[in-house]
Amino acid sequence: MNTRRHFLRSGTALVALPFLESFGFRRFAAAAVPAAPPKRMMFLGMGFGVTKETWFPDVKQTGADFALPQGLAPLARHKKDFTLIQGLSNRYSEDAHGGSTYWLTGANPHEAGASAHNSISADQVAAAAFGKETRFASLQLNGSDKDLSGPGHGAGLSLAWDNRGKPIAGINSPLAVFNRLFSAEQVPLDQLRLRMTQKRSLLDGVLLEAQDLQRGLAKNDADKLEEYFQSIREIEQRLAKEEQWQSLPKPKAPLTQPPDARSGVEEIKLMYDLMVAAFQTDSSRVLTYRLPISNLLSSLGVKVAAHDMSHYSPGERMEASQRRDVAHSELLAGLLDKLKAVQEPDGSSLFDHCSVVFGSNLSSVHNLTNCPTFIAGGGAGIKLGQHLVATKDTPLCNVWLTLLQGSGLQVERHGDSTGPLKALIA
Amino acid sequence: MNSHSVSYWQRSYSLNLKAVVALFGLLGLSQVTARSTEVPEAVFPDKHLALLKEHCFTCHNAEKQKGKFRLDDLGFSIKDNRSAERWQKVLNAVNSGDMPPEEEKQLPTNAKANFLDDLSKAVVVARRNLSDSRGIITMRRLNQREYGNTLEALLGMRMDVRELPADTMANNFDTTGSSLFLSGDQVEQYLDFGRAAVAEAFMRHDKAGTVLKKRFEGEDSISSIPNSLKERIEGHRKFMVWKREVDKAAEKPENRAAADAIRKELKNEAMAIYHRWDKIPGAPSPTEYGFTDAFHALHVGQGQWALVPYQAWFLSMPENRTGVWLTIGDNAVKSYFSFATHDCPPGDYVVRLRVAASDKVDARRRFIEFGLGAGNPFNHDSRHMVTGTLENPQIIEIPVTLHGNVVSYFLRERGSHDADAIEWVRFGLGATENGVGPDFAIWLDYAELEKLPVKAVAPGMRAIVPVLGDANTKVDAGALRSAFEAFSIEAFRGKKPSEPFLDRLIAIYDDHRQHGADHRAALKEVLALVLVSPRFLYLNEPTTAVRIAQQSIQTVDRISASDLASRLSFFLWGSPPDNELRELAASGALSNAEVLKKQTDRLLNDPRASNFIRPFLQQWLHMDRLDFFRFNAKRYPFFDVSTKEAARLEVYETFAHLLRENRSVGELLKADYAVVDGLLAVYYGLDGVVGDAFRPVKLPQNSPRGGLLGMAAVYAMGSNGEQTSPVERGAWVLRKILNESPPPAPANVPQLTRLEDKILTTRERLLMHQEQPQCASCHRRIDPIGFGLENFDTAGQWRSEDSYERAGLGKKSWLIDPSGAFYNGAAFGDFFVLRDLIHKRVDDFARGLSTALVEYALGHAAGFSDEALVDRMVSESKSQDLSARIFIHTLVQSREFQSK
Repeated sequence: MNTRRHFLRSGTALVALPFLESFGFRRFAAAAVPAAPPKRMMFLGMGFGVTKETWFPDVKQTGADFALPQGLAPLARHKKDFTLIQGLSNRYSEDAHGGSTYWLTGANPHEAGASAHNSISADQVAAAAFGKETRFASLQLNGSDKDLSGPGHGAGLSLAWDNRGKPIAGINSPLAVFNRLFSAEQVPLDQLRLRMTQKRSLLDGVLLEAQDLQRGLAKNDADKLEEYFQSIREIEQRLAKEEQWQSLPKPKAPLTQPPDARSGVEEIKLMYDLMVAAFQTDSSRVLTYRLPISNLLSSLGVKVAAHDMSHYSPGERMEASQRRDVAHSELLAGLLDKLKAVQEPDGSSLFDHCSVVFGSNLSSVHNLTNCPTFIAGGGAGIKLGQHLVATKDTPLCNVWLTLLQGSGLQVERHGDSTGPLKALIA
Repeated sequence: MNSHSVSYWQRSYSLNLKAVVALFGLLGLSQVTARSTEVPEAVFPDKHLALLKEHCFTCHNAEKQKGKFRLDDLGFSIKDNRSAERWQKVLNAVNSGDMPPEEEKQLPTNAKANFLDDLSKAVVVARRNLSDSRGIITMRRLNQREYGNTLEALLGMRMDVRELPADTMANNFDTTGSSLFLSGDQVEQYLDFGRAAVAEAFMRHDKAGTVLKKRFEGEDSISSIPNSLKERIEGHRKFMVWKREVDKAAEKPENRAAADAIRKELKNEAMAIYHRWDKIPGAPSPTEYGFTDAFHALHVGQGQWALVPYQAWFLSMPENRTGVWLTIGDNAVKSYFSFATHDCPPGDYVVRLRVAASDKVDARRRFIEFGLGAGNPFNHDSRHMVTGTLENPQIIEIPVTLHGNVVSYFLRERGSHDADAIEWVRFGLGATENGVGPDFAIWLDYAELEKLPVKAVAPGMRAIVPVLGDANTKVDAGALRSAFEAFSIEAFRGKKPSEPFLDRLIAIYDDHRQHGADHRAALKEVLALVLVSPRFLYLNEPTTAVRIAQQSIQTVDRISASDLASRLSFFLWGSPPDNELRELAASGALSNAEVLKKQTDRLLNDPRASNFIRPFLQQWLHMDRLDFFRFNAKRYPFFDVSTKEAARLEVYETFAHLLRENRSVGELLKADYAVVDGLLAVYYGLDGVVGDAFRPVKLPQNSPRGGLLGMAAVYAMGSNGEQTSPVERGAWVLRKILNESPPPAPANVPQLTRLEDKILTTRERLLMHQEQPQCASCHRRIDPIGFGLENFDTAGQWRSEDSYERAGLGKKSWLIDPSGAFYNGAAFGDFFVLRDLIHKRVDDFARGLSTALVEYALGHAAGFSDEALVDRMVSESKSQDLSARIFIHTLVQSREFQSK
C-alpha cells in the first residue's frame, strides 16, 4: 500500500510527503510545558477602511505622546499596549474595493501578465512554522456577510492565501469554529486508526486514477491536475497530523457553545472569544478573521449600505462610517482585555506573547495608500504605545516582515518588502 | 481512440528522452504558430504628448528622473508588463492628485479628464491583452451547480449542493477554469457529499415501490386559536387590574413627584409609569398578576390586545370549520400553514394544495408562497396565483423532492412573512380600511403529499442495481467488478476506468468487508471514491497531439467527439451528455456539422437549457445585486420577496423566450411585449394574465415595459433599496448593453470637498462628480444615462416625481427631468427617446453578448485571441436578424469551441 509516494512523483512537481509522521508515530503528546510560552499571531481584516478624519491620529503627534482620535477612543485603556502606523501601502494594489485580497500578501496582481495573481499571505508564512506544534496549523474565520467576497474585501475565500497564491477557505460561523476546536468525536482509538488507514487507501485509489488521467493531458491541463495532487497531499498531511493528535483528546472548551445564527456585533464578539480560546488551549497559533461589514452595520441599526458608507462625505454616510469605527474599537478593546486576562503557565499573559493586527488594504473611501494599521501584543518584540508615521509609500509588507522576524521566523522578505521597519522594533 | 497516440507533454517511459525533447521543442514552436500571435499593442493616443511634455517631462526625463521615474522614454504603445506597470503608475499618480505636485502648474480640467479617460482605457486593454488565454481552454473542475446536476443525472435525485463551498471569485463566470480551485478541504467535502448521495440513492431504490399519501386538513391547524383568544382576554383583564393599582399608587400625593420624574425621563411616553412601576412606592409588581415583568405585561395588555378584535373576527368565519383562512398577523390568527414530512422515505413527491381566494380583496393579495422550513423564513421556493373561489376551489400541484429527513413545508399569503416586518405594514393597510385588520384573502381546504412512482432508474443506479442486494449480500467478484466498471463509465461520462483502478476498487471493497463493514456500507465507500475521482470532478479532455505510429508530427488540437459532447452539454445544460449525445459521439456522427447543429437545437429545446440560461444571465448581468439590499417596506410594500423573485425570473424567461422562438436579441433592448407571470402582470398593471407561467404579453401603446430597460429587476439592481442610483444604472447600461465598460473605479481619488449638508436633488448631488477631472473622465459618460432612467423608482415602478428628506434639514421634492445627452453624442428628452437611441446600438449589444457567451462557454476571460470568434458571431447573427440561436450555433460550430 505504500505506493502513494510513487504516484505523487508522477506529476510535474515532486510532491514531498510527511514521511516520518506515518503509522504508529507518537507525538510527544502531553509534552512538557515549554520553557517560554509560544509566539502567536492573529490578523483581523476589516475590508472597507476607516474614517480618515476621525480614526488616524494627527501626523504631527508621533511617538508615545499622541491624542487618540474619536474612532479609537474606546481603546484608551490599552493605549500603552498598541502601536499605530501611518504611511504604509501595498505598492501594487489597485483594486479600490478589495481591502483583503492583497492585504497580507503584497502581491503584484499582474505578475507575469496574469489577470489576478496572488502569493502567500503573512499568516501562512507563520503557520508553516508555528503550525507544526498545534492541532490546527492555522484557522481562517470569516464574517457572515452574504456578499463577503464582493465589495469591501475583494476576491478570496478568507484573508489567507497558500504558498501557491491560492485562496484558503474559511469558517463562516462561530458555532462551526467552536465545533472545529472543541467538539470531540467519541470514537475508540483503534477504530479511528482503521478509519485513517482506510482513508489512505481511498486516496491511493484516486491517485491511481489521477495518474492514469494525467498520462493523456496537455501541459496546461497537467498543470491544473497538479492542484488535485496537491489537494490529496493536503489531506495526507492532515491525516498525518490527525494521527499525531488522535491519542490526545481535544481540549475542554473554556467557553460555552455559541448560539447558532448571530450576526454583526454579537458575531464578532463570539469569534473574538473563540480566537482567545484557540490560543488559550493552544489549538492553533495563527488565526485570521475576515470581519463582517454589512451585517455589522445592520446590527448597529445603520441603514446605509456598506459600499455607500465607504463613499462617505459629511452626513449620514460619514456618521455610519464613524459608528463602524467605534464599534470595531470597542470590540477590539474587549479582545485585548481577554488576551491580557488569560495567563500562560509562567504567569505572563497570552497578550504578552502574541501579535494582534487589525487593519485593511483600503484606508478610507477608496484609497489604497496609508493602510490603517493597528498592532498590539508583545509577541513580536515591537515598540508599543506608539504612533509612527513612516515615510510615504513604505511597503506594508515591511511591517509583516518585522512581525514575522520579531516572532522568531527566519524570513528575509515578504511580498514587496524592502526590509524590516526599524522604528517598530523595541 | 488511437491507442498509440500520446500527448506531447507526457513523459512517456516508452519514448527515449532525446526524442521527447526534440518533439517538445518542435511542438512548442508549432503551438505558437498555430495559436498565433504576438500580443497586440494597446495604444495610448499620442495626442497627449504635448500635455506630458508640458507637465511631466521637466522632472521625469533622462537626467532628472525625479522619484526614480522617467517618462520621456515611455512609448505610447503598451505591449509588455513593464510598460503597463509604468503607465499604471502614471495613471495612479494623476488620479490621486500626487502629480503634478501641488506647487507646479496643474493640468487644465478638461484636458486632464480626457487624458485620464484615454490612459485608463489603454491600461485596461493592455492588461487584458497581456493576460490573454491564447485561446487555450484549460481543463477545469465542475463548478458547484454542475456538480449537483451531474450527481442528479447519475443517481436520479437533486441534492442541495449549496453547502459545498461557493466557487466564484469576483467578477467572472463560474465556468472560468483559472478560478475553480481545489483544496484538500474540498476533496473531503466531496467525499462526504458523495457518500450521502449514494446512501440516499440506495434508500430511494429500496423505497421505490412505496405508496404513500397524506392529507393535512386546514381546519385541524387552528385548534389552539380559540384558547389563545381566551388567554388574551384574560391577560388583558389582569393587565387592567395591575394598571389600576399602579395608577392608584402614582396618584398618591406623596408619589406625585416620583411619577412626574419618570414621565419626564421617558419623555411623556404614554406607558412611562408602568415601565418604571418599581420607582413608585406601593405599586404592585406585575409578577403578582402573572406577568414576568413590566415589558411582558405591556405586551399582553397592549400589543396582543390590539389584535383581539381581529382574532375574534377570524374565529367567527364559517369557512374555518371546513378549512382555514391564511392571513396576515401573529399567532392570534393563522398566518401560515405548515406540515411536516414524518415517515416519508426519500423520493419524488407532489404537494397538492386545495385553495381559494376571496373576491373581496385587492388582486395583489391573491397569491401564495410555498416553501421549505417553518417559523418565519423570509425566502420561499415558489409563488402561485390563486384563481379558485370559495364555491369552486382549485388544486395547485407542486413537485418536491424529499431526502428522508423530516422537514416542514409552509404555505402563506404572499409577503406575509417578509423582511423588515413588511407584514405589519400590510396589516396596517388592511386595518385602516375597516378598523380591525386585513380582509381574509386566502383559504386553504387541505394540503396533500403524495409519493410519485419512480420514473426511470438513473444510469448510475442501473449499473449498481445488479449487485445492490442488502446489507448481508455476498456478491461474486466478477459481478462486482463489472458493476464498478459500469458505474465508473457512467460517472466518467463514457470513459473507461483503468484496470488497476478497478483492482483498487475491489481491494477497497474487500478491505472494508474484512474490517466489519456490511455489503452496502462497503459499496457506498467504493462509489463515493469514484465520485471524487478526477475523471468525475474535472472536465478533462485528453488531447492527441502526436502520432508516433506515423513517425510524423502533427498537432491535432481538436478535442475528441466524446469531449465535444461533454462541452456541448455542460455549456447548454450544465450537466453531462445524455445517451443520445454519447451515442452520436461514439459513432462519430457528432463531428458532422449538421448533426451538431441539430443536437444544439435539441439541447436548447430541452427544459434543462434553463441550467444554461439562468446561471449565464445571473452572472453576466450581475444579478446578485438584487440580493444585496433590503427594500424599504414602508415605501415599497408590494416589492416583496415574491415580486423580487418574479422580477428576477422575467429576465431569465425573456431570454428563454427569445431562444425558444429564435427571435432577435434586439428585443432585449426594445419590445412591444413583456414576458410575465400573473404576479408580475399585477405589479406592472397589465390585465388578463392568469396563472404562474411566464408568457409574452402584448403591451399597451407607450408602455415603458418591454426589453431589459422595462424590467423591474434591472431598476431594483440599480438602487440600494431606499433610493435609486443613477450611477449604478448608467454604468450597468454602458457595461451590459452598450458594450462600453467604464474602467474600474480608480483608487486614491481625493474626496469631494463640497459638503453634503444640503438638500439637493439627485442630479445636483451627482453633478458634483464632474467637478473633478478624475471623476468626470468616467461620470460624464455614466451619469446622463442614469438620469434618463430616473422615471423608474427604486422598485422599478414608473414615477414622475422624486424627493429627498434628511432629518433636521427638511424635505425637497422635484419633478424628474430625464433629459440629457450621451457623452459626445445624441441628446434625448425622455426615457422613450433614450431607449430608442440605445436600441439603435443593437450591434454593440450583440458584441457584448457574444463576448459574454464566449467567456461562459470557453471558461476564460475573452481577450484578443477570442476576437475573431466574437467577430464571426456578430457578423453571422447580423446576417440573420440577430436571431438568438445564431449566436449559439456560430459559437458551437467554431474551431475554438472544438479545440483545446
